[in-house]
Amino acid sequence: MLAYVIRRLLHTILVVFVISLIIFFSVRLTGDPVSVMFSAGEPSKEAIAELRSNLGLDKPLAIQYGIFLKGLLTLDFGESFRSGMPVGTLIFERLWATIALALGGIFVAILIAFPVGILSAVKRGTGVDFFGRIFSLIGISFPNFWLGIMLILVFSVQLQWLPSSGFESIKHLILPSITLGMILSGILARLVRSSMLEVLNQQYISTAKSKGISEWSVIIKHGFRNALLPTVTFLGMQFGSLLGGTVIVEQVFSWPGIGRLIIDAINQRDYPVIQGGVIFLAIIMVVVNLLVDLSYSLIDPRIKAGRGSQ
Amino acid sequence: MKLRGWKTLILLMVLTLFLAACSGGSSETGKGSDSPTGKNPASDRGNEVVIGLSSDPQSWDPIDTFLLDWSTVATSVFEGLVERSLDLELQPGLAESWEYLDDSTLEFKLRQGVVFHNGEPFNADAVKFTFDRLLGEEGQKGPQYSNYKSIKEVEVVDEFTVKMHLQSPDPVLLTKLAGYGAVIVPPKYVQEKGDDHFNNNPVGTGPFKMTEYKRDQQFVLEKNADYWKEGLPKLDKVTFKVIPESSTRLAELQTGKIDIMKRVEVAQAATVKQSDFLELKDVGTPTVFSLRFDTAQEPMDDVRVRQAINYAIDKDAIIKEILGGFGKPISTFQSDLSFGNNPDLKPYPYDPEKAKALLAEAGVAEGTTLEVFIPGNDGNFKEITQAVSFYLEEVGIKLNINSVDGTTLISDLIPKGDAGHMYRNGWGGWTLDYDNTAYLMYHEGEQWNPTFKDEKVEELLAAQRATVDQEEREAIFMELTTLLYELAPEVNLYQAVDLYAVNKRVENFQPPHEDRMRLEEVTVK
Repeated sequence: MLAYVIRRLLHTILVVFVISLIIFFSVRLTGDPVSVMFSAGEPSKEAIAELRSNLGLDKPLAIQYGIFLKGLLTLDFGESFRSGMPVGTLIFERLWATIALALGGIFVAILIAFPVGILSAVKRGTGVDFFGRIFSLIGISFPNFWLGIMLILVFSVQLQWLPSSGFESIKHLILPSITLGMILSGILARLVRSSMLEVLNQQYISTAKSKGISEWSVIIKHGFRNALLPTVTFLGMQFGSLLGGTVIVEQVFSWPGIGRLIIDAINQRDYPVIQGGVIFLAIIMVVVNLLVDLSYSLIDPRIKAGRGSQ
Repeated sequence: MKLRGWKTLILLMVLTLFLAACSGGSSETGKGSDSPTGKNPASDRGNEVVIGLSSDPQSWDPIDTFLLDWSTVATSVFEGLVERSLDLELQPGLAESWEYLDDSTLEFKLRQGVVFHNGEPFNADAVKFTFDRLLGEEGQKGPQYSNYKSIKEVEVVDEFTVKMHLQSPDPVLLTKLAGYGAVIVPPKYVQEKGDDHFNNNPVGTGPFKMTEYKRDQQFVLEKNADYWKEGLPKLDKVTFKVIPESSTRLAELQTGKIDIMKRVEVAQAATVKQSDFLELKDVGTPTVFSLRFDTAQEPMDDVRVRQAINYAIDKDAIIKEILGGFGKPISTFQSDLSFGNNPDLKPYPYDPEKAKALLAEAGVAEGTTLEVFIPGNDGNFKEITQAVSFYLEEVGIKLNINSVDGTTLISDLIPKGDAGHMYRNGWGGWTLDYDNTAYLMYHEGEQWNPTFKDEKVEELLAAQRATVDQEEREAIFMELTTLLYELAPEVNLYQAVDLYAVNKRVENFQPPHEDRMRLEEVTVK
């Protein structure tokens, strides 16, 4: 087990190194951060050259990459061109808001998708199943931008029940979580339904039923628990991508998350922030994957980490 | 199975209709009175105003910034030696008076008894410190330094007198001293706390002091009780909220969560106007938009072709139909707020016949295709370009529209001359002096002028920089604008108009031309 974890961590280092190469060179393919910085003011060509050299952008690429890599080893992502703040600080300031939104979205998705998916599977082929599947189709098809604005119009402007922007209290978390959760729940409900169907057709379910255990007890204890495995994998992966991939929801609800930080940085060609942000997300992604793999042995004791999940 | 597929589809369509009906309903009611009772939802906020902005400038240090949103907030916190009023008049700020001792020496008499928000006194040392920092190592790392390179150094004469020695005459220096990099910072505070701290906790002499800064969320300003202007500011508190999405900003305004909304979109103007408790305010800005030609490419190297395209486009119709009237026609690449604007020049009239004749004369074949590059994130301009494409088709030119990433366009394609035959060009010109625009747009080899050159233009550009005599400069600009009008290096489309939406409980709010909100006179009902 320990050897497995260590091996996976070494694996992480390799992944981060490869990503650092890709991100470092790809951000430099188009655009010039210095020209962008001069959107107001009097940028003569001398001034632009001067600023470029002050930011170290006139050094050969290999040397710039070396400086970046050296910083990475000491967990120093450098300073933002735009704000002059350390990139680490910028990321950690937003971490809590980002995690809160990702968890909120997953919570809503579970709240909707588990009952819908289980009911659909149990009542397969009936009207309940039909509505369940329609619901998940709609969930998948919603553009989250539109859904967010509609929720604001209904619940903030018309009914005035909930705030529409900001990250201040649990109340502010509700609408963005629903927006995110709705989209997620569509896919999740389908996944729960199909895994449940697979499990419910197994012999041990019939055996359990024939022992006279109540139907719902069989469904939940024997069926659901076994159907959980693919669902957890899915949610784990989603959690990782939600940390950086909720830009549109962050934009609509003025949520101070990491996604917006990186998108703004891309628009400004703020290299240190793009690099630091992407590397950070990559690390999170690999760690979450590892945790998901390790959790398998909790859900299904037959799987031993290190063998079962390879 | 087949039958079920059909059922699904029908049900889906019904549901879609239902949802569409819901959303239609909500926006319809939204158009009328916003709250069912017609009561102003922000009426019990107290002596405070909340303002919704679209972005956070990220850094409050004046030497690090280059953003309009910085000046929106920072104008209330920091002050310069000179002040520029909402009507764009230069007036005394932290300096009570100034005088040119000779062409390269400017003497300032400073205001006495002014203190920074942290209690530090304002005096000649603070002025010297500010400019040493701006022109020194710290400042050279930022984008503001280049604006103030004409200053050699500041000399302290006595506690309330300074002399500014100049490298070269700078006709726009005084207006530059009224903002951005030249606002006065507290020496002891900056030295003791360091730049990072100052970045997040700005201290100036302005009417309000910043008491809270939550990056990307909100900034709180509170009244500076020791402000040097008698009886000001009138508000106790101003909160700025960062709300990037404009429809969310409008929702916050409709529910009374904010009182003033910056950057209202043209499409939102009607909603604001129909509300009982909101007011729409529009104001002309220094920002202008054009389609700039790459004069190195055929057939744009022929002045007749450039003029023909100017005649072919009905700019008034574009302003009226696409911008909802919120834009003003321009004859050269500057607004009527700019020093050097030529009121005698009228925009090229819409005359497709003349355009056709000029094109024929230049030997441009019917059906010639031209490439135009525009930024993909500007929806309004995309529509404008489509209209331009329609007008050009009428005179036999096909336009191929390339919509590209805005940052790549500005920082990569335009400087390299890779942006087709023409491209969107937008320009702010915060100094409100045509020098700022013309020099960088038409002087050979500048960042955003990869190809245009003309000897007479160069001569005039250099001449206006060599003198501080404003009458002489104005005469040069009149000649320069007439010349550039003839040479037509671009199609000048319009001057941008900014829209602000304001809750009627707010009084004495005048929208700024150049984003610098002034809040000290603002009151609430």
